[in-house]
Amino acid sequence: MENKKNMKVLIAKPGLDGHDRGAKVVAQALKEAGMEVVYSGLHRTIDQIVNIAVQEDVNVIGLSIMTGAHIPITQKLFQKIKEKGIGDKIVFVGGVIPSRDVPKLKELGVVGVFPGGTPLAETIQFLQSISKKG
Amino acid sequence: MELVDKVLRGDEGSAARLISMIEEGRDEGYEAISLLFPYTGKAHVIGVTGAPGAGKSTIVDKLAISFGRQGGKVGIIAVDPTSAKGSGAFLGDRLRMRNAEKLEGVFIRSMAHRGFPGGIAKATLGAAYVLEGLGKDVILIESVGSGQTEIQISMICDSVVTVLTPDYGDEIQLMKAGLLEIGDIVVMNKTDRPGAVEAAKDIEFYLMSHKKQHWQIPVLTVEAIQGKGVEDLIAALKLHRTYTVENSQGSSKKKENIKRLVLAIFKEEFWGETLKKIQDKAMFDDIFQQLQNSTIDPYKAVRMVMDLALPTE
Ligand SMILES: Nc1nc2c(ncn2[C@@H]2O[C@H](COP(=O)(O)OP(=O)(O)O)[C@@H](O)[C@H]2O)c(=O)[nH]1
Ligand SMILES: [Mg+2]
Repeated sequence: MENKKNMKVLIAKPGLDGHDRGAKVVAQALKEAGMEVVYSGLHRTIDQIVNIAVQEDVNVIGLSIMTGAHIPITQKLFQKIKEKGIGDKIVFVGGVIPSRDVPKLKELGVVGVFPGGTPLAETIQFLQSISKKG
Repeated sequence: MELVDKVLRGDEGSAARLISMIEEGRDEGYEAISLLFPYTGKAHVIGVTGAPGAGKSTIVDKLAISFGRQGGKVGIIAVDPTSAKGSGAFLGDRLRMRNAEKLEGVFIRSMAHRGFPGGIAKATLGAAYVLEGLGKDVILIESVGSGQTEIQISMICDSVVTVLTPDYGDEIQLMKAGLLEIGDIVVMNKTDRPGAVEAAKDIEFYLMSHKKQHWQIPVLTVEAIQGKGVEDLIAALKLHRTYTVENSQGSSKKKENIKRLVLAIFKEEFWGETLKKIQDKAMFDDIFQQLQNSTIDPYKAVRMVMDLALPTE
């Protein structure tokens, strides 16, 4: 019987964009890498995403954003998770992210940025390495 | 314990943490459950089982809304299978519970079954206690949905709903899968599909001729997407609840069930602990070496492993 701590990840789609193939591919890959993955579905508000993260007690939140609004969305997420007392969650961002915005996202508290086209193995390896540290 | 106090005061974050601790099998988690236990036993714990795609999540969503409208405080535990090849799981039930999720006060927790048999996880019962501690009085548990009999879910629930669809096949298939062996209420879902009413009649006839207890299992027709038939389902659930409380057959079943669940958990834990103790021994490898060289047969290997695990003095 498995009694160990398993990594639990929320893959969330905030905002308006209606494309979730990428998010689903990442979710599937993380599952195959041995993680428990909750997928939020499309068109989620930040409040809903944070609510799910609280109830599911995930270790990691992955935001998939294709609309270009990644900075305000990420800013709002950090504000809300701190309010809810779960500011310690590991947050990563994927989607359409220009490289010039990466430093700003990291400054906000994002641990990893994986723009579309990043090899899945890289994302997985990254998450596994930080979970070992935590 | 501070965590327990917080749960009892309605703090969702603490409840979520505590459920994780039970999933991880941590001593602190079990101590907290012992403290919560005296506060439990009053909620109506309802299990929803049935094959993949039958409509379990959709029905849970609709039930949560209707119970919520009637003033019920609803908690949901949705169990999904852990991959047979590893520890990963895709927890997707929540996606179909978006209406319930929007309701104030509905707490939804997804959970991977982590290899536990019978449609639930080892931590599912603990999670139900936590949700009751949090103040929920209706707890809906969606099973893994293996398409076969999920015995363990019936051990932790007051009422079990078995969800079928018109394409379930024929009576023989139903019997083979054992789907009608558990379940206090049968739902024929997707009545917008052809053949649903006839299928429901067939099952009703089958159940009437196989009646084993005082409770007559009703067969209800439901179109979950439209919410049709959900009020009748709630009425049937309430009736069944009354039956289990008032009828001695109902309450003695509950006592028997909890004993069976403890034995089921014991079996899993005992197996895990035993394997940990013996798998590093040289003899353990040696047995499998012999098995692979075909110098011993599989049953001989099992007996040798047994001797290793439980040596006779
Ligand atoms: N036609 C029809 N489809 C339904 C009905 N109820 C659920 N579904 C669909 O059946 C699929 C599986 O539903 P879901 O609730 O996820 O099933 P589960 O796997 O048993 O949890 C989804 O696409 C639902 O929209 C219904 O009453 N009629
Ligand atoms: Mg489901």
